[in-house]
Amino acid sequence: MADVLTVRQVQQVRPALRFLRVIPGVLLLAGVGYAGKLLEQNVGAFAKAHHWTFPNIEYVLWAIVLGLLISNTVGVPEIFRTGVATYEFWLKAGIVLLGSRFLLGDILKLGGVSLVLVAIEIAGSLAFMTFLGRLFKLKPKLTTLLAVGSAVCGVSAIIATKGAIEADDEDSSFSIAAILALGALALFTFPLIGHALHLSDRAYGLWAGLGVDNTAEATAAGALYSDAAGKLAVLVKSTRNAMIGFVVLAYAIYWASKGQAQEVGNKAKFLWQKFPKFVLGFLLISVLATYHFFNKDQVGALANLSRWAFLLTFAGVGLRTNFSEMRKQGLRPFAVGAIGEVVIAGFTLALVYGASKIFGW
Amino acid sequence: MSAEAVGAKTGSRWKLSLDTWAVLVAFLLALLVRTGVFKHVPW
Repeated sequence: MADVLTVRQVQQVRPALRFLRVIPGVLLLAGVGYAGKLLEQNVGAFAKAHHWTFPNIEYVLWAIVLGLLISNTVGVPEIFRTGVATYEFWLKAGIVLLGSRFLLGDILKLGGVSLVLVAIEIAGSLAFMTFLGRLFKLKPKLTTLLAVGSAVCGVSAIIATKGAIEADDEDSSFSIAAILALGALALFTFPLIGHALHLSDRAYGLWAGLGVDNTAEATAAGALYSDAAGKLAVLVKSTRNAMIGFVVLAYAIYWASKGQAQEVGNKAKFLWQKFPKFVLGFLLISVLATYHFFNKDQVGALANLSRWAFLLTFAGVGLRTNFSEMRKQGLRPFAVGAIGEVVIAGFTLALVYGASKIFGW
Repeated sequence: MSAEAVGAKTGSRWKLSLDTWAVLVAFLLALLVRTGVFKHVPW
């Protein structure tokens, strides 16, 4: 009886405690994000009032920069960390809500083109990263994690693959650190290169979705360019994310064949477990919007909810990026990741350039 | 088996992934907008 009571108490108390633990961090995300929004509105107005020439810096960049400043100066205190880690939750909820701004026809048209480009990008990136890993004599499973992280969807793909191929914790920490550091660099370099090359919103959105690894950074890199580019970057990145199950399954089978991972039993169940469910949510909301389940004002309200969710995400991207922590992870995996990312960025830019010529974007 | 282990085992059957929670919350918000609970969301 005592055991039963204890079990009930454990079950009742834990979710409530878990919920309470995220509150400080979520408030920090909201505070940093909102400060970014206020800075966007006020810095521009202040500069204009004083006749200063000052570039219009969007809330996306302000929120990320404020987060980076906190994380890399005073640091994020322990009490906030659980809540700050919810930025991925806000990202995925924001992507689902963003589905209301896509008509199904657009998704099928753009999704079809992006699916072809994504398939080429994944195959090319996996092959190149595997080659680089061998060239730099990295451990084979570390190479696999870096390849999957670069080719598919950053941290989520690394975590999914780590479990499936039974890689070391150290290998996955190396890979995650490299992917996050390079994602942070992409945030600043992609928009600069896009503007320098005068890429259209469509071409840039495709490039950000194909070339930036982590979903949060791809969303931010797209939004930093323009609203339209941000929408497309999310669509293309979601297409990449949808491929995660197939790539992880292929690697799980490969490592099992070498006797270094467990056999995959039910492959359909494995694929479903690894499939990112938010992609389905995004598609379902888009179907509802296409068939006028929501009126125009409601679509506007959903789009604004999506923006608020992304605001928390962008603050989280800055707050969880700590460069000194990343430096501790070692140079070689970072060098492999960096060389790989530069080549993949060039390769995906060439793909987008070719597609824009073919389709006349 | 310890109480925590039982709790963890019982709870794991109902444990939803972060993705699924995000989808559920997004749909709840969409429903609240659709039913007029949230009439206007400022930005």
